[in-house]
Amino acid sequence: MLGYLAQRLGMMAVTLFAIVTLTFFLMHAVPGGPFVSERMLAPEIAAALNAKYGLDLPVWQQYLNYLGRIASFDLGPSFKYPGVSINSMIAAGLPTTLRTGLLAVICVVALGVPLGIVAALNRNRWPDTFVMFVATLGVAIPSYVIATVTLYLFALRLGWVPTFGLDDWRGYFLPVFALSGFWISFVARLTRSSLLETLQQDYMTTARAKGLRPGQVLFKHGLRNSLLPVVTVLGPVVANLVTGSFVIEQIFALPGIGRQFVLSITNRDYTAIMGITIFYAAILMVMILIVDLLYVWLDPRIKLTKATA
Amino acid sequence: MTDIAPNAWEKLPPEATASAPPPPAPTFGQEARRRLWANKPAVISIVFIVALVLAAFIGPFFSPYTYYKQDLKLANIPPAFETYTVSDGAGETTRIFLNASNFNIYEVDGQGHVLGLLRGGRKDLIQKSQPFTFGDTEVTLDYSRLPARLLAADGSEIRPSGWSWNRTYLFGTDQLGRDILVRQLYGAQISLTVAFVATLVNFFIGVFYGGIAGYLGGKVDAVMMRIVEIISTIPLTLYVVLLMVVFDSGLLSIIVAIGSVFWVDMARIVRGQILSLKSQDYIAAARTMGASPARILTKHLLPNAIGPIIVTLTMLIPSAIFIESFMSFIGLGVTPPLASWGSLTSEAVETLRAYPHQLFFPAAAISLTMFAFNFLGDGLRDALDPRMR
Amino acid sequence: MSETVLSVRDLSTSFFTPRGEVQAVRGVSFDVRPGEILGLVGESGSGKSITCMSVLRLLKAGGRIKSGTATFEGQDLLSLDEDALSDLRGNRIGVIFQDPMTALNPTITVGEQVIETILRHRRASRAEARARAIELFELVRIPSAATRLKSYPHEFSGGMRQRVMIAIALACDPQLLIADEPTTALDVTIQRQILALLKDLQQRLAMSVILITHDLGVIAETADRVLVLYGGLIMETAPVRDLFARPAHPYTLGLLGAVPDLRDDTHRRLTPIPGSPPDMAAPPPGCPFAPRCPHAMRQCLDALPPLFGTAHQSRCWLHHPEAPKVAGLNEVAA
Repeated sequence: MLGYLAQRLGMMAVTLFAIVTLTFFLMHAVPGGPFVSERMLAPEIAAALNAKYGLDLPVWQQYLNYLGRIASFDLGPSFKYPGVSINSMIAAGLPTTLRTGLLAVICVVALGVPLGIVAALNRNRWPDTFVMFVATLGVAIPSYVIATVTLYLFALRLGWVPTFGLDDWRGYFLPVFALSGFWISFVARLTRSSLLETLQQDYMTTARAKGLRPGQVLFKHGLRNSLLPVVTVLGPVVANLVTGSFVIEQIFALPGIGRQFVLSITNRDYTAIMGITIFYAAILMVMILIVDLLYVWLDPRIKLTKATA
Repeated sequence: MTDIAPNAWEKLPPEATASAPPPPAPTFGQEARRRLWANKPAVISIVFIVALVLAAFIGPFFSPYTYYKQDLKLANIPPAFETYTVSDGAGETTRIFLNASNFNIYEVDGQGHVLGLLRGGRKDLIQKSQPFTFGDTEVTLDYSRLPARLLAADGSEIRPSGWSWNRTYLFGTDQLGRDILVRQLYGAQISLTVAFVATLVNFFIGVFYGGIAGYLGGKVDAVMMRIVEIISTIPLTLYVVLLMVVFDSGLLSIIVAIGSVFWVDMARIVRGQILSLKSQDYIAAARTMGASPARILTKHLLPNAIGPIIVTLTMLIPSAIFIESFMSFIGLGVTPPLASWGSLTSEAVETLRAYPHQLFFPAAAISLTMFAFNFLGDGLRDALDPRMR
Repeated sequence: MSETVLSVRDLSTSFFTPRGEVQAVRGVSFDVRPGEILGLVGESGSGKSITCMSVLRLLKAGGRIKSGTATFEGQDLLSLDEDALSDLRGNRIGVIFQDPMTALNPTITVGEQVIETILRHRRASRAEARARAIELFELVRIPSAATRLKSYPHEFSGGMRQRVMIAIALACDPQLLIADEPTTALDVTIQRQILALLKDLQQRLAMSVILITHDLGVIAETADRVLVLYGGLIMETAPVRDLFARPAHPYTLGLLGAVPDLRDDTHRRLTPIPGSPPDMAAPPPGCPFAPRCPHAMRQCLDALPPLFGTAHQSRCWLHHPEAPKVAGLNEVAA
């Protein structure tokens, strides 16, 4: 187990290194420099700024400096907002993003799984048809469409919830719904097909042949196994909630990291883009690791194969 | 015992007992086609997609408008409106409609064609009203209270005489007075082009990469798959965002960005297929007969792996449409005046308060298209590989 | 012997599929007597497994029992309510399935899978149930039983897994054990061990066993009485010695011809039965075996033969008093 963990952490470090390198050189491949895009600076000011940010050094030296700073968890300063560090930008947006993201994950699990179970247990009857229809809607409609349409209906038209911000607790409804809508549907579909497959398994017949009560058969023998594939998608779910938050935070004007990221893109704030990308990547890899560990804990078969591998 | 005719005990000749030879089994292709055609949502989706492609690529030729032509005088006209009839006292009547959000009055004809913006008298900014004259009839636009209303000379409110579809701009116009229908069609053109081309690029990269990894196997395979693993750790949207920042917005760059990123699934599937097929006897047979690796790969392996590849391909198209619109929505996609479903949605969001109907068309278009591709993908999967169900 | 453990009468089961109704079992009747091993033999698709799964109402999706009764301890299993039936399953009637790889839940320890069965049917504490599980593991000869309770199915070999299945089936001292192809998925050497174990346990615990198999060798070695099924019908039924010594149905004869006999030194060729089993979605009106039967007569295609005989029964028109005599086929005692 410890060996597995160490191997995974090593793998994570390699991946992160690859991402840092990729983003660094991508950002340096942008034509011109970070200060070129807008106002023309006097040459001496530009030179001073370049010196200040170490941009006059050769690229490989800049790269090494950057790696060094990343290793000490410092994502550097913003180019667009003097005196603001990327770390503080992220710290400012984190609570908002974390809260909506967490609520969305909870919604995905708390709504998607039960809906899938209801559908599977009522296969080809109206609850199944209904859930699958709604789930197909949810998978097909892009999150920003859900966001804008619900914003218009419930905030502008009906006035049930505020149109922006999270000062009111009702402000969470629409962003969380838009963020999680796709994944609720996805998880419902996945749970359904996975449970249907599990119900076909021989060991389910064994459980019934042992005289176990229907509840025991379903919850002890059926659900646990059919939820394994659902656990595996939780990693990607978190990843996609993160990217989904770009648009959702934009539409609902939430002061989160996603909005900050989009703002940095429009501002061409290259260090911020780099910093936030790397931060996202790190968060994601931690999440995927947690999900994998959860999976190992849930499925005894994995332990053996990984330990021997 | 019941009576049994004596001849019933005759032994049957062998041919009488031999069962008729079974009818020839349908080929895989026939069977798949039959299953696909039996799947109603999938068939409807195919019809929808074909209609959409035709409309997107041929439709604009039949329109008098272009996607870039602006007419600020005719901005934000809705696709349907309530008409008022005003008579000028000399027997002539004028039909008008009131745009309740920007307080403009437009003249329309009986069929619902928009004839133009009417110039009124001086706006009274204190009273929030504006007079309009038709011959010797004067009508006052009163927008001191919302919704705005039209008042006759005696101060009574004029009631609308009916409503009409907009026959000039079927879907209305946007905030710069461009025809929404034509922009929709151009948007569909761009979204579909990006999706198809990017999917094709992904397809070639994925098949190439996965094919090589699966065919060579061993160490090469291990390294190549480790790379794929690293790539797939990060949400692909992030890569696309980074690439778009580097390339700068534009049609070509979004195709390159999406096309270069989403091949990972395809590579995995192709590799998996190749690995499982490689162990089969007919490949060994081809190899012993001296077929070259390239020939084995293209003539034997790929045709057999085609089912899952087609399914993955169909599922890639909606993701590509989605990513493109997502990028355009956050301002990293195509640049104005070019339109795509994403940028149209994002433009509509800007005017959501005043003109919510402008959101309807791009939102409906992309949702329906995503639907169609999803249903088609499901249908193809069921048809081509019943085991994957 | 008048008393019976299980008495099945006129059982019919169909599966409703997109291509129509598949009549898997078409009016099967038989008795299981105390302490006997009843063998059910037939090709795959003959309805032997479906018969037993119908008795326990454990059919897979689409399967429906159309008619019949199955009396066990004075109750009709087919009309009993689900709760009362589940009180019997795993308690008075144990079941062993064909594939021990898939019949055990992969994510639950084998110990727990035994213990939950005991706790379901017996008033026992967890510790008592655990003690009983160890006892059962020793009974089915799983070495170091106490530590193996904590293992998962994938940590066992196929034969050991089947022993676990047997332990589960025997957990509550059942009156009747249904063994559905218990050795088919195992290596030949392991097959022998499991069969010997089953036979031994059956004698020690004085159970009745229904042994489903397609392997006549297994039947010859283990069973007391045999039912031969074909096309969802009983074709022949006899005590095991009679069946092998004097087979009375052309199908049984064909089956025996397809089994190698090592003691036979005449070097006769194995003769497979030509053709394939009937399509049960559209069963022929006459004898289902007629299209493959070397002795088929006009009568065979027209009407389904009844079972002729009493202790040794055979469903073939050749046993009809007016029928011509065929060499090589044994008569059933009228």
